Amino acid sequence: MKKFLACFCVLLGLSAPVFAAADNPVDLVRDASRQILDTIKKENGKNTAQIRQQVESIAVPQFDFQRMTALAVGMGWRQASPTQQGQLAQQFQTLLVRTYSSTMTRFKNAQIDVSPNAVMGNSGREATVKTQVSLPGANDKGPVAVDYTLYKTAQGWKVFNVSVEGASLVTVYRNQFTQEISKSGVDGLIKMLQDKNAAPAAASKG
Amino acid sequence: MKRTRLSLCAPLLAVSLLAGCASAPPSSPHDPYESFNRSMYNFNDKADRWVVKPAAEGYRAVTPQPFRSAVGNFFDNIKDVYSAGSNLLRWEPEKALNDTMRVMINSTFGLFGLIDIATPAGLKNNKNGLGDTFATWGWKDSNYLVLPFFGPSTVRDGTGFGLSLFTNGPERLVYHNTPEAVAFYSLYGVNTRSRFIDLGLDESLGTAAIDPYTYMRDGYLQLRAKQLGLPNPTQQDDVNIDDLVSAPAAAPVKDASAPAAASAPAAAAPTVDASAAQ
Repeated sequence: MKKFLACFCVLLGLSAPVFAAADNPVDLVRDASRQILDTIKKENGKNTAQIRQQVESIAVPQFDFQRMTALAVGMGWRQASPTQQGQLAQQFQTLLVRTYSSTMTRFKNAQIDVSPNAVMGNSGREATVKTQVSLPGANDKGPVAVDYTLYKTAQGWKVFNVSVEGASLVTVYRNQFTQEISKSGVDGLIKMLQDKNAAPAAASKG
Repeated sequence: MKRTRLSLCAPLLAVSLLAGCASAPPSSPHDPYESFNRSMYNFNDKADRWVVKPAAEGYRAVTPQPFRSAVGNFFDNIKDVYSAGSNLLRWEPEKALNDTMRVMINSTFGLFGLIDIATPAGLKNNKNGLGDTFATWGWKDSNYLVLPFFGPSTVRDGTGFGLSLFTNGPERLVYHNTPEAVAFYSLYGVNTRSRFIDLGLDESLGTAAIDPYTYMRDGYLQLRAKQLGLPNPTQQDDVNIDDLVSAPAAAPVKDASAPAAASAPAAAAPTVDASAAQ
């Protein structure tokens, strides 16, 4: 359980890669990881609004939140109208960004090892970049595997899935989302995400 | 002697029995004991908030980092003994030998396991338990089960864990009666928990998850399936992402090789809208 939790924390804090629209998914992940680590080390690792803003401006453009949300929602995505899909993606993005930015500075001492070989799939349109994250003190049992799945768009490679030790940050939501959709429809899910995002952060509820 | 072990196992046995009786409509096919699991999850959550975490914080305040590492290594060395056993049972002689070598080196040169010199020496830390053995033997699919204090598990892994508590392992050299056993496992728990305080696990889970219980369950089941090389148990509906996003209503396919979807209203996609994230 602890290792699992540690993995998720590493994931929540670090799965924010990539800077320039690099041609190569591996470079993209490596550059962004490095930039983000450099940024969160500024100001003695304090989690200030300015640092959060900087990290977001590096990380957010590297993701395709629409595709990511579709993956999280699963079959229910088809029931959603384009407007609803846009709302879902926006709320999901807010949720993920909020989660990252509240925890990111805890990982200022992390080391990220990006594997030079991406695993290509889907006839070259998809790539999985494997990384190993070590955090001195916390996971001295060995590094944690964090994988980024990207796909190729006209704007370059975009990340749409992140998994830690095989557990996906995105699809971990699917059961919750499916349940909500079958209970109160797509609008119910949008409302639920809005409520969640409106609530004060980091209130761990039992 | 035997009573110590029994008293430790009583809660686990109770768990298995209760789990067998629980009957609430499950929200996930892998979680038929959800109502039981949820109450155990809440119990663990409270126990962590009020007892384990404060204890771990206090422990961390009064002990130096090398001490905590040594304690962690000590327990790890004991677990390697079990790992060797389970690797042997699933007929992985190489891994079993690896684990045995680890124990031999760490118990001697590593001062009774306080220093882990086997890992830097190239002997991999590939911990296995009886749950892994059962999986190798064919018990692939197993329902989710939350154990008291130890948290997420499955019926298979919980059974393996319970059985290994019954085995007279090397930890019997350390404690000889119930109070000593309680102290032993408390130290283990507090030491392990102390390593994760800086990560703010509880806050992260609270921020990330809409329902922390489901988040933890599905994350754990995915993780465990990956470890065992099994298909992801939390997704029966095998969704193809390309089918989803290139469906008529979907948005941002900027790839020229997919002209069919080019008419999609990309305006709906807030992909690069950083301000929306605030």
